[in-house]
Amino acid sequence: MTSRTRLPAVFLAPPLLILAVLAFVPTAYAIYISFRNRELSRPDGSFVGLANYIDLFSDRRFVNAIGVSLTWELVTVTLTLLVAIVLGILMFEFASARQRAVLTLIFLVPVILPRVSAAFVWKFAFHPLYGIVTYPYKAITGQPLDLLSNPATALMTVALVDVWQWGLFFGVIVLKLLETLPPQPFEAARLDHARPWEVYLYVALPMLKAPLISLTFIKMIESLRAFDLIYVMTRGGPGIVTETLDMYAFSQGFIESGRISYASSMAVLMMVATTVIFTVIWKRVKP
Amino acid sequence: MTSVKTLVSSIAYACLLASSVSSVALAAECSGTIRVLAQPRDGLTLLESHKDEFAKLSGGASFEIDYLNENDRRAKTKADASTIGKYNVYYIDEANVALFASAGWVAPLMDYYPAEYDYADFDPGRQKVATYDGKVWFAPLTGGGDLLVYRKDLLEAAGVKPPTTLDEMKEAVKKLHQPDKGIYGIALRGQRGSGANVWRWMPYFKGFGGEWFDGNEPKFNSEAAVKATETYLELFKYSAPGTQTGGWDESVGAFTSGQVAMLVESTPLVGMAIDPKSSQVAGKVGYLPPPTPLTGGGYGHGLAIGTKANADDASKACAGLFIAWATSKENEQRRLEANQFSELNRTSIMTSDTFAKLYGPDLGQALADTGKVTAVNFWQSPLWPDLGDRWGIILEELIAGSRTDIKDGLNELEGFAKELVARSQ
Amino acid sequence: MSLSRFLGKSVLYLAAFSAVFPMVWTAINAFKNRVDIVTPTPLFIFTPTLDNFAYVLGRDSVAAGLVNSVIAAGGSVLIGALLGLPAAYAIARYPNRWSADIQFFVLSLRFLPPVAVAIPLMVIWLDLGFYDTRLSLIVTYTLLTLATVIWLGVPAFARVPKEVEEAARVDGYGPYAVFFLIALPIASRSLIGAVAFAFVLVWNEFLIALMLTTSDAKTLPIVASELTQLGRDVPWGILNASVVLLSIPPLLLIGILSGLLNNAFRRKSN
Repeated sequence: MTSRTRLPAVFLAPPLLILAVLAFVPTAYAIYISFRNRELSRPDGSFVGLANYIDLFSDRRFVNAIGVSLTWELVTVTLTLLVAIVLGILMFEFASARQRAVLTLIFLVPVILPRVSAAFVWKFAFHPLYGIVTYPYKAITGQPLDLLSNPATALMTVALVDVWQWGLFFGVIVLKLLETLPPQPFEAARLDHARPWEVYLYVALPMLKAPLISLTFIKMIESLRAFDLIYVMTRGGPGIVTETLDMYAFSQGFIESGRISYASSMAVLMMVATTVIFTVIWKRVKP
Repeated sequence: MTSVKTLVSSIAYACLLASSVSSVALAAECSGTIRVLAQPRDGLTLLESHKDEFAKLSGGASFEIDYLNENDRRAKTKADASTIGKYNVYYIDEANVALFASAGWVAPLMDYYPAEYDYADFDPGRQKVATYDGKVWFAPLTGGGDLLVYRKDLLEAAGVKPPTTLDEMKEAVKKLHQPDKGIYGIALRGQRGSGANVWRWMPYFKGFGGEWFDGNEPKFNSEAAVKATETYLELFKYSAPGTQTGGWDESVGAFTSGQVAMLVESTPLVGMAIDPKSSQVAGKVGYLPPPTPLTGGGYGHGLAIGTKANADDASKACAGLFIAWATSKENEQRRLEANQFSELNRTSIMTSDTFAKLYGPDLGQALADTGKVTAVNFWQSPLWPDLGDRWGIILEELIAGSRTDIKDGLNELEGFAKELVARSQ
Repeated sequence: MSLSRFLGKSVLYLAAFSAVFPMVWTAINAFKNRVDIVTPTPLFIFTPTLDNFAYVLGRDSVAAGLVNSVIAAGGSVLIGALLGLPAAYAIARYPNRWSADIQFFVLSLRFLPPVAVAIPLMVIWLDLGFYDTRLSLIVTYTLLTLATVIWLGVPAFARVPKEVEEAARVDGYGPYAVFFLIALPIASRSLIGAVAFAFVLVWNEFLIALMLTTSDAKTLPIVASELTQLGRDVPWGILNASVVLLSIPPLLLIGILSGLLNNAFRRKSN
C-alpha cells in the first residue's frame, strides 16, 4: 500500500537533481577547460588537446606533489588510526563512565575547530622564538627549534596537527564501538588468563574489523583536505616539500600564475584517481 | 552593514568633470566607499584615523583598506584585477607596475591626479620606479634602496671595523656569529618570492655582473648567477633562525630584537632600528651603503587607480583624489611627526628642519650615498613576477637544502623562462 | 596493574590536555599586549587587555566577514535541511533498487577533492557574472550541506521505530503526515546533530571560499587567515583574538554534536 505513494519521488527528485547538477556541471566544465589554454587574465584561450596533460608529467613540481600527497595520506591515516585505537582502549579500560563523558567532550574540541584556527594555533605554538611547544627545547639546549622550515620535519609537523584533530575524535568513536561489544568474549578470555593487551589485540579489535575499516576509509577521504593546514602553516614550503596536489593546483590555477586550464587538468586527474580508488575500496568494504 | 558592502557608487558631476579634469579636486562629489587593497603600512593605518577629513574633502566619500602581507598582496591584486576588479585602488610596486600597466588594470595616474598636490615633489628615485612606458602609474608610499645596518657595540667589542667590501663583510659575519650567545652573524631572506628571497639575492647577482635577458633571450644562466647563489648560501649558514623561510619581517624582527650583528636590507630598516619603540638596540646601530660590489635594490611601492572598479571617469577621479590626499604633503607631515621614517617620500619633507632634527645629518648622508649604488636589479618586464617567483621557489629549495645543485636549478629556470616568453607571445 | 593503570591514565590526561591547551593558550594570548607575547619565556601572569578584541571587532572586514559567513552557512544549511531531510527519509523508509546507488552517489561527492570542484566553479561563476557573490557561495555550499544532511539523516530516520509509524498509519495518517508529524519529531535530536554538523562543515570551509571570493563575499575564515598572515610587525595579539572569534560558533555546537555521536551508538548497542 505504502509503496504506491508518490512520496519517494517528491522527496528525492529535487535534491538529487540539485546534487547532480552541482556535481556534474563543474566536473564536465573542468574536463572541458583542461583541453584549452585559458588563463585567469585572458578569458579567451583555444583548444590545445592533451597538451596540458602531457606537460604535467614532465613537471617536476607535479610529480613531487603526487609523492607529497601520497605520503600525507599514508602518514595521517596510519597515525590517526593508531592514536584513535590506543586512546579508545585506554578510555575503555581505565576511565569511569563520568570520565568518559568528559573526555568525549574534550576530544571533540580539536576536530570542531576551523582548520584555519587549528593551523594558526599550532603554527604559533611551533614558532621557533615565541612558541610554547618549542620553548622547552630552547630552554634546555639554548638552540631554537624550527620544525616548519626544516625540509625533514615540515610535513610531519603539519601532519601532527591533522592527527591531533582526527585521532582524538576517532578515539571517542573507538570507545563507543568497544562499548557496543558484548562482554562475554572478554570474560572468557580473562578466564583463560589472557593479558589485557592480548584481549584487545586478539578478541576486541578483530570483532571491530568492519567498523575500523570504515573509519580508515572515512579518514582517507578526509585526508584529501590537507589544503587549509598547509596553506596557513607552510604554503607548500620550505621549497616544495609540503606542496600537496591541492596546494599545487591552487597555486597554478589562482595565486601564482592563474593558469586555469593547466590547474584543471590536474583537478581532472585528481578526480579520476580519487573516484576510481575510493569506489573500488568502497565496493570491497561494503559487499 | 550595507554601507560596508556598497560598491563605490561615485555619483559625480560627470559633465562638470568631463570638461575640466584638472580641477577635479574642487569639483568632485564622491560618495560611497573607495576600496583599497594594500599591504600593512603605518602610514596607511594613520590615514584611517583621518577618515573625516577625506569625507569633507571629497564631498562624502569614505575609504576602506584591506590589508594582506606582501606576497599575498601581490597575488591577490593580480587575481582581483585580472578577474572582476572590485578594488578601486591597488597597492602596486616597482616589480609589478609593468604588468599592471601593460594589462590595462590601472589607469595613468596623472590624468586624475589634481595638480595642486604637486607630484613633482616626490623623490626623483621614487618617481622613476613609478614610471613605466613613459607614464606615471602610482603615487609612492614608500621606497628607497639598501643599507648595510650593523651593531656598533658588537663590532667594537670584537674589534671589527664596519665592512665596506663583500669580503670584509663575510669575514665580519663569520667572526660575529655566536649562536650560543644568541647572536647570529647576519639575517637574509629565505622565503620564496620575487620580492622576498630573490630580492635580497639580486644585489649579488647584479654585483657580480649578471644580466637577466637580452631581448627575449634569457641570459641569467651564467657564472654570475652561480657565484651569487653560492655566496648567498654560504652567508645563510650564519643567518638567524626563522629566516630560512622568512622575509623582511623575520629579518627585521631578528635584528631589532638584538639577535643579529649586521645585515643588508631595504632603507626603512634604519628607521625601525633607531626607534626605541620598535627596537631593543636603538642606541647601538650604525649604517653604511651596501658593501661593494653589491648594488642596492631600488624599489618603490604606492597606490594606483584600478580600471575595472572605476568604470567611468568620475569614479577614476575620486580614486585619484583619494590617492593624492593619501600621499599629500599634509599626510607625510603627519607621518613624520609620528616618527614613521619609512613612510616618507617627498623631497620637501625629507629636507625639512623637522626631519633633520629627528634623524640627524648622518642618516641623510647615508641615504644620499646609497642612492649612488641603487639600481634596478630585476628584469623590467610584465613577466617578471612569474619568473621571479619561480626562481624564488628554486632558491628556497636550495636554502632549505632539499635541493643542492645550483646549476641544475638555473637550467630549470631557463627552461621555464623560455616557455614563459613563448606563452606570452 | 596499578602501574599500567597509572600510565594509561597519564596518557589520557596528556591527550586531554593537548586537546584543550592550545586553544586555551591562544585565548590567553588574545588578552595580551604584544610585548607580553614576544618574550623569550612564555608568560602566564600579565596585565590583560581588551585592545585586541576591540581592534578585531572594530574592523569593517571582520564585521563583513561575519555577516557573509552567517548568510552563506545559514542559507546553505537551510536549503540542505529543507531538501535533504525529506530525501533522507525517503531513502530510509522507501527502499527501492536504486537506494544503495543513491547513497553511494551522495557519499561519493565527498571523494571529490575540493580544489577540483573549486577551479571549474571559479570559472563558471566568473563567466556567469556571479563570482564573489553570496549567492554563488550558498549554491556551492549546498552541494556540501545537502550531501551531509542526507548522509547523516538516513540512519537517524532508520532508527525511528517502525511500529510507531505503522500505528500512526493505522490511525489514518497519510505518508506525508507520518513524515512531518511522527518521524521528524522522533528523530529530531539526531537530525539537529546532523544539521549542526553540516553547519560546522560549511562554517569552517576555507578552500572554496578562498577561490570563489575576493572581497564582497569573503567569509570569516578567509578574513581570519588574512589577519594571521599579515606579517609586518606581526600583531600577534590581534591574530589570536581573531582566531578565538572564528572558533566560538563551532565550539558552541559541541554539545549538540556529541549528542549526535551518543545517539548514533546508543541505539546500536541495544
